[in-house]
This record gives sequence, structure tokens and C-alpha cells, in this order.
Amino acid sequence: MEANQITGTPLNRIDGLLKVTGKAAYATDYPVKNLAYGYLFKSTVASGTITQIDDAVAKKAPGVITIITHLNAPKLNVKGGLRGGALLQGPEIKFNGQHIGIVVAETFEQARYAARLIKVQYSGDAQAKTDFEKLATQAVPAKEPEVRRGDVDSAMASAAVTVDEVYETPIEHHHPMEPHATIASWEGDKLTLYNSSQIVNGAQTSAAKTLNIAPENVRIITPYIGGGFGSKGGQWANLALAAVAAKMANRPVHLALSRQQMFNSVGLRQHNIQHLKLAATKEGKLLALGHQTTTHTAIDDEYTEPCGDCSKVLYAVPNALINYKVVPMNIIMPTYTRGPGKSTGSFALESAMDELAFKLQMDPIALRLANEPAQDPTTGKPWSSRKLVECLKEGAKAFGWHKRNPQPGKNIQGDYLIGHGVACGSYPARQRDSSAVIKLTNDNGKVQATVELAAADLGTGTYTILAQTAADGLGLPVAQVQIKIGDSDLPPAAGSVGSVGATSYANSVNDACSKITTELMMKSGKQFFVRPTAAQLMASERLSSFETRMDAKPLADADNYSAHSFNANFAEVWVNRHTGMVKVKRFLAVTAAGKILNPKTARSQIIGGNVWGIGMALTEESVIDPRWGNFITRSFADYHVPVNLDVGNLEAIFINEDDKHANKLGVKGIGEVGIVGVAGAIANAIFNATGKRVRELPITPDKLI
Amino acid sequence: MRPFKYTRATTLPSAIKELSGNAQSRILAGGTNLLDLMKEDVERPEALIDITHLPHSAVKSLSQGAAKSGVLLDALGKNSETANHLLIRSQYPMLSQAILAGASAQIRNMATNGGNLLQRTRCPYFYDVAMPCNKRTPGSGCGALEGFNRMHAVFGWSDKCIAVHPSDMAVALAALDAKVLAQNEAGQQRRLTFDEFFRLPGDAPEKDNNLQHGDLITGIELPASNFADHSYYAKVRDRSSYAFALVSVAAGLQLNGKQISDVRVAMGGVAHKPWRALTAEKMLKGKEATEANFKAAAKAEMAAAKPHEYNKFKIELGERAIALALTNALNYGS
Repeated sequence: MEANQITGTPLNRIDGLLKVTGKAAYATDYPVKNLAYGYLFKSTVASGTITQIDDAVAKKAPGVITIITHLNAPKLNVKGGLRGGALLQGPEIKFNGQHIGIVVAETFEQARYAARLIKVQYSGDAQAKTDFEKLATQAVPAKEPEVRRGDVDSAMASAAVTVDEVYETPIEHHHPMEPHATIASWEGDKLTLYNSSQIVNGAQTSAAKTLNIAPENVRIITPYIGGGFGSKGGQWANLALAAVAAKMANRPVHLALSRQQMFNSVGLRQHNIQHLKLAATKEGKLLALGHQTTTHTAIDDEYTEPCGDCSKVLYAVPNALINYKVVPMNIIMPTYTRGPGKSTGSFALESAMDELAFKLQMDPIALRLANEPAQDPTTGKPWSSRKLVECLKEGAKAFGWHKRNPQPGKNIQGDYLIGHGVACGSYPARQRDSSAVIKLTNDNGKVQATVELAAADLGTGTYTILAQTAADGLGLPVAQVQIKIGDSDLPPAAGSVGSVGATSYANSVNDACSKITTELMMKSGKQFFVRPTAAQLMASERLSSFETRMDAKPLADADNYSAHSFNANFAEVWVNRHTGMVKVKRFLAVTAAGKILNPKTARSQIIGGNVWGIGMALTEESVIDPRWGNFITRSFADYHVPVNLDVGNLEAIFINEDDKHANKLGVKGIGEVGIVGVAGAIANAIFNATGKRVRELPITPDKLI
Repeated sequence: MRPFKYTRATTLPSAIKELSGNAQSRILAGGTNLLDLMKEDVERPEALIDITHLPHSAVKSLSQGAAKSGVLLDALGKNSETANHLLIRSQYPMLSQAILAGASAQIRNMATNGGNLLQRTRCPYFYDVAMPCNKRTPGSGCGALEGFNRMHAVFGWSDKCIAVHPSDMAVALAALDAKVLAQNEAGQQRRLTFDEFFRLPGDAPEKDNNLQHGDLITGIELPASNFADHSYYAKVRDRSSYAFALVSVAAGLQLNGKQISDVRVAMGGVAHKPWRALTAEKMLKGKEATEANFKAAAKAEMAAAKPHEYNKFKIELGERAIALALTNALNYGS
């Protein structure tokens, strides 16, 4: 990197003004002419076969253009990369809420009205698999690889202290503020999809493959995204069905999901039953760790949330068994959901660690410090960098941990029981291939840069951090850098998923800046004692324009290291001793995530993750009625996300970390880690407040009275 | 949404006339519940008669001279304005607290006092047209009875319906012995006690209350209250705001020294209507206002509760909420 001035400063979002003034166009904001509106209609049974669809009345309803079902839908490639099936390819029903058709009409209201006039008959299936509590016993080993070293059961049998408990987390939903939405528009063979996409090129290829057309004939436009949390990573049937509807209506079609439809259209975080075993010496040295997750997946496809991931890396332990069992069910396909596996898995692991500390009469921080691993305990690789100890120590100081009463139920103020808890978390740091083009112009000495790549900004600050990176890399003020992302016509880039976005994009832009500077130096034919900036070279060489493309790759030896972001989370809860209602008064997340490109947007990422973690701990749960396999919680009145009043003071601290191995810039990613460890810290604080160990999330008032 | 005819009424009598003329018509006031239900295809009115703009939204003292004679809430008064009105805050603090415990600021700014009483249950089986629900589709069965019934009734339910009334405001109104004023096409005014207005589901859960089609709520009358010094609304819910009650309690005490000369306890989240805790009231009248007596009364009230698979916790939570509301009412202002 060149002179480092702007990167690492808390620059305001460069797209902030556009957003607060409503000028940032989201997927369905585009003024496409002659637009028709689609409305998806869905199965009301979990399993079986459609025997009849009576749409005679609907067809005649006002404004209806066409009605698409499996009877007239074109043949699509069901293995084209879209998740969750439901592509109208046949009469078989695999889950309640499966798309079974689309009405296209002149207005949204007309399409929805007509959809409700359609009568569907099914031949039912009495064997529908909808009751996870019952089916969990039939779960079989999952594809997710097992970790096994030593012998957990022997260690458990002979250890001085053990914990052997089951922790349960419910189905949760992503519910980004912007529901999934698409405008599909054909011009001859060319298809444009304005579609909220976390992985721009992934959306392009999966739509193309599913529609049986060439990827170069599909353009994804997604400059702004109203959140995704994993649900807009892999794309779902609605993307291809919008294109099908546009083709069949011979008009551009707007297809947006309603909030209710979001529950059974775009995946979920699955219900996990986690069996944790810990064995330790009476000094608190871990001897064994068992972590078995039992969960469910789609009836015809497998995704398993990797709940054991934190258990693989957080602590030094000689005997370990981390494995998964899964049962296929007539429920929509689960998918990546913020902090996939780590957020739910750390709740189980870190609750068990807290239980172990209590049994040992040991401070929970001291227990963790006593089991700090010198290298990755699972792979044996050295850490690219790891500052979990610093997270715990600095956090304890900032939080005032020494004032905590280790005896539960003893800290009482009026109607409230007060408690403090700690929990750690981690998330892998990875760089993925990403290309970037930099175009420089020089207008009478005023040099400006345009940076182009098919990156995605979920609303988290990608535009801003890339402008900062490019400004430093080129020697320009941020105001003279324009960032163009969210368009598959731009150079291909990684997705904004799995905490790889910032790392991959910033490294590719930084590498592109180095490359263009070197090319300009060579073009000048001069010798330089001090490496000039690209901006200086454009001016001194009087070039009116210059551009280059960089295809950035991870460091060649990146795989030799174990690279993760780590955090320590501290919660103070106040539990009303009469009603069992919990308030998180204070929450502190201390994160070591390598280089922080922008402390302001990074803080927002972390506290946003913390808020969802509070929801995971206290409020969020999707309930299925096994008689029908449908979601009973199907609106924001039933599915409770935390409100402002639930969330007290949030504080985020970043530990200074100079990682030389993870990637060139030493960026590790913060999108996922912010939610990891949060539910554990809150559950542990609730135990400290009340003496009640709740092992089943969410911790609602009825569980505390 | 199904197509419907929209009319803007010019007066309340003309609105009533229009309403009476079509059995499938509905009054549109705040619209905070009705419009949602129409979008969900639960309510399917042929015609909406909009009265939102009519000037019928005052909070009026009924007192003449020194004697306190109560307060009249016009039907179109907004929930937020009512909750923040000085007369309500000073004389009926429990009502003010109850209103502010419900919904969100945005919804309270739209929702009307009359409409609040008429909001429909939040039972998820009622809301999902693919599910059986006797309240929505008489004869289709009750999805909740053997289903996910965590939020449902523990008092007064029938095997046809175990839904609860979702209002917080109505719970305080029940405790305060408020009367509902209703007018019909003939111009007749009816004054209904809460017992006469609300009903239990019985064999006809499709009826939330005893209004006839063509009746319009014009106001809510609050009798003079001697509970202002000792009243409290306690609401237990899954999050701190914008959630329906697991259990809520409106409590008011009238004290003579330490002795309870009069007491009101009403509960929300436990029945098809705001539930007056008459057993508890009876036990407490004449007794000393102590936490032990509150707990005993609470226990006696909840002893008659009949819970379902997922709401057994409401018995203990109900006991705790009654005792808490009474204790906080006792200590109100101190």
C-alpha cells in the first residue's frame, strides 16, 4: 500500500447522502417502462402432489396478463445453482409454502387478488416430515466433515470435572429490511435482472444456468442492497421465476416477496440440537470437547450449519469429537445465516464453558485464558494472528469485569437481578479471487479515478472502504475517486458473504493501485528514488487517461496459516424478578479482526451483529405447526426482532492487529463475527443474574419465572 | 386485496346509514388493523366507509361544577392523544399507561379509541387463511386448540376458539368500568357496560362483541375514578415494546388508611375479552393492602385458569403480574 492516510479513518459513508435522501435506487426502484407485476402463490400443504389448479376465475380478473404454473412453465435446469427448488417444474410438493405459480397483472394488487381466486387441489401425503422434535432421533451423519482426535468418552469418564448438556436453538429468519425483489427485463436474448444480490456473479451464473441461457446474456444490476444476512447470497427461485414471468408476459416484470412470503421463500437458519461435552482437570485445563449437532435439511438437498466451527479453534484440547447429524424434512432448504454455525455453535460451546467455570469455581475469563492454544488445535497450522487473549483482557478492563459478583442471584437492585457474562467467538478470515479495473483521467491536472468491480455493498460500507483504499493507493483525495460496483458487467469479484467481501475487494483494489502505479512508472521511462503516486504520474506525464485491470488472488502461502477473526463479548443484563423480562443494559464487543479499514462502518457492523445476537438470545424464534408444516410465526408481530428498548448501550472496541499472513492488507473481515458469541454472553449473564441456566433459545420471560 | 367500494362519510349519521345498508360494509377509522387484515385476505369487505376525518375526537370532562362525573372519549380520538391528555393522565393514569404499552408510537398516532375496542385477535391461525379458524371461517375448526397456543386464552375459552383480545387499552377500560356508547340507524343510543359489550367465544367465536351490524361506537364513557392515586398497568411481553401481552394487568386501589375500600383488577392476554379478576377483587375488598394479600388474591384468581399445552406458564405469570400490578399501584407515585 502507498502512503496510508485515509484508510483506517472513520470516514462517513460516501453513499450516505444518497440513501438518506432516497436517491439510492434499490432493485425495484428502477423506472423500467411498461412494467407488469408478478405475485407468487404457494402451496398450503407440506408434501404431496398438485392434482388440479382451477384458475378460470383468476384469468378473468381485472388486469391479469398471464398465470404461470408447472402446467405451462418452461423447462428450467433445477441444478442450475438456485437454492431451494420451487421452480414450477412439476406437481410435487416438497414443503409448505413452495411456490406453485405466479400471476402477472397490470398492478401488484390485481396480481395478488387474482392469486387468491385460484383453487388448488392436492393429493396429500400423510407421511410429511414436519416435526423436528420427533424426527431428530432419525437423523443420520451429515456431509459436514467430522473432527476427531483422541478419545472424548474416556476423557469424560476419568476427568475431575465434566459438563454434559444439550443446547437448543430455534429456526430463525434473515428478514433483511428490503425483502427479495427483482425486475426482470428481456431485450431479445438479453436479460437484465435488477435484483438484490450479495454475490453478483453468482446470481448471474445461477440465473443463466437455471434459465438454460449463456451467462453473458444475463446482466445483474444491484448497486444497493437493503441487507441480506446470507439470504441473498445463494439466490432462490424467485430470481429465475421473475425472468420466466417477463418472458411469458412479454413485458418487464416486477416480482417482490411480501414479508410473509419471506418466511418460506429464501431459506432459514435451522433448528439445532447441540450436545456439548467438556472435561477438565480441577485446575481448569480442558481434556475433552464433544460437540454433536443434530439438525434438519431440505427433503432433497443438504445444508448443515457448521455449529462446531468455534469448537474447532477456540481452545486447546487434546481430545475432541465434532460431528453432525441431519434429517431431511418437508421444510424449506436452510441456508447461510449471519455467523452461520458460529453464532449458534458458540452459544452452546460458551454456555458449556460458563457451566464448567462455575463448577470449577473459576473465573470464566481465567478458564478461557488457561486454554489458549498456541496453534490451531484442529489443523495444527500456526495462527496468521490471534489476539483473543488481548480481547479478553482489554475487554475485562473496559467492562469493569472485576466488579462482577461470581455468585449468581446475589446482585439485586429493586425489582431487578443484575448479571454479567462473557463469551468468545471466532470467524474464518479468507480472501477470494477478485478482479478490479482502475480508470484514471486527467483533466488539466485534476486527476480522477474510477474503480470498477462486481462487488456488492449490503449497506455495510463497501463503497466507502474501497474509496478509502483507492484514494490511498493512488494518492488521490476520496472525493476524486468514484466506485462502481453491483453490476455483473464489471470485472468479476467475490461475494459479500462469509466475511470475504471487504478482504477480497480491498486487496484487489489495493493490488490494482500498485499495478497501475508501476505501469505508469514504466510508461514514463524515468527512474524514481521515491515511488511516486499514480496521481502524481498522471499529472507529471500529462496523460489524459490510463487504465489497468488486476486479477487479484490470495497470498500463495495463505493456506499455510489458520486465519480467523476473534472476539470477546461482555454483557450486563437486568432481569425483572417478577416478570422474567430481560434488558441488555450494556454490551461490549472486543474484536481482533486485523486491519480495520474504517472504524466507523466497522463499529456499525459489529453493533449490528450484536443487536441480532440479542435477538437470538432473547426474542427470535420461528415456529412450525407440524400438522401442516407451515410457519405459525409469519409476520413481525409474531417473529420478534429486538426493539430499541431491548438494546442498551453498545460499545465496540477493536484490538490493534497487524496480520502479515492472512492477506496482503491484513484485513480479516467483520461482517459475521459481530453476532458470534453474543447469545452466549447474554445467556451467561442471565445465569449470573438469576442462577437459572437456560439452554434453549430464545430466553423469553416464561423461561425465567 | 379484493376490490371494494370506498365512501367518505360526511357525518356520523350518514356513515351509520351507509353501514346499515350493506351487511358486507365496514367502517374505516384508523385502519391500523382492518387494512392489514384486508391485505391478508382475512377481512373481505365490499365497502369501506371512511370516518377518519370527521370531527369527533375530543376528550371531554363530564363534570359540572365541583363534583367529578367522569370523562367522555369520542370514538375518533387518537390513542396517542388520549394517552397524553391531561385529564387522562391525571385522573386515569392506568388508562394512559395501558394505551402507551400497546403497539408503537406510529400506530397509536393512527389508531382510534373506538377502533381499539374493535381490533381483532392476533391469533396466527386467524391471520393465515390457509389455516382452520372458527372466528374467520365458522365451522372450519380451531387451529390453535391443539396447535401453537402459547399466546392464547386460559380463561373463558371454548373448544371452538381460544383466541385472546389483543388490546391493552381495553383492559384498563374494563378495570375502570367504562361504558361503550353505540348508535344505530334509528338514532338510538346504547350505553353498554364492558360485560355487555364484549363476549366470550362460546359457539359463535366469529362474533368478537355484541354490537349489531349498523351499530357505530360513538364514544367511551369513563366514570369518575377514585383510583388515580393508586393505579398501575403491568404488561409482560416477549420484548420491551411492540409486542402483544403474554399477560397484562390493570390494577387500581382505593385506600382507607391501609385498608382496601375498593379495588379493580383486569387482565389482558388471558381471554377472548378483557378479563375482570372478580375473584381477586372480592378477596381484597376490605383487606389490608399488603403484598401477602395481593399474592393470595392473585393465586385465587389464577386457580380457575385452564391452560393449553404451550401456555401453562400463564398461570404463574398471571399470579406474578397481578401481585406486581397491585404492589406498584399501592406504591404509585411514591
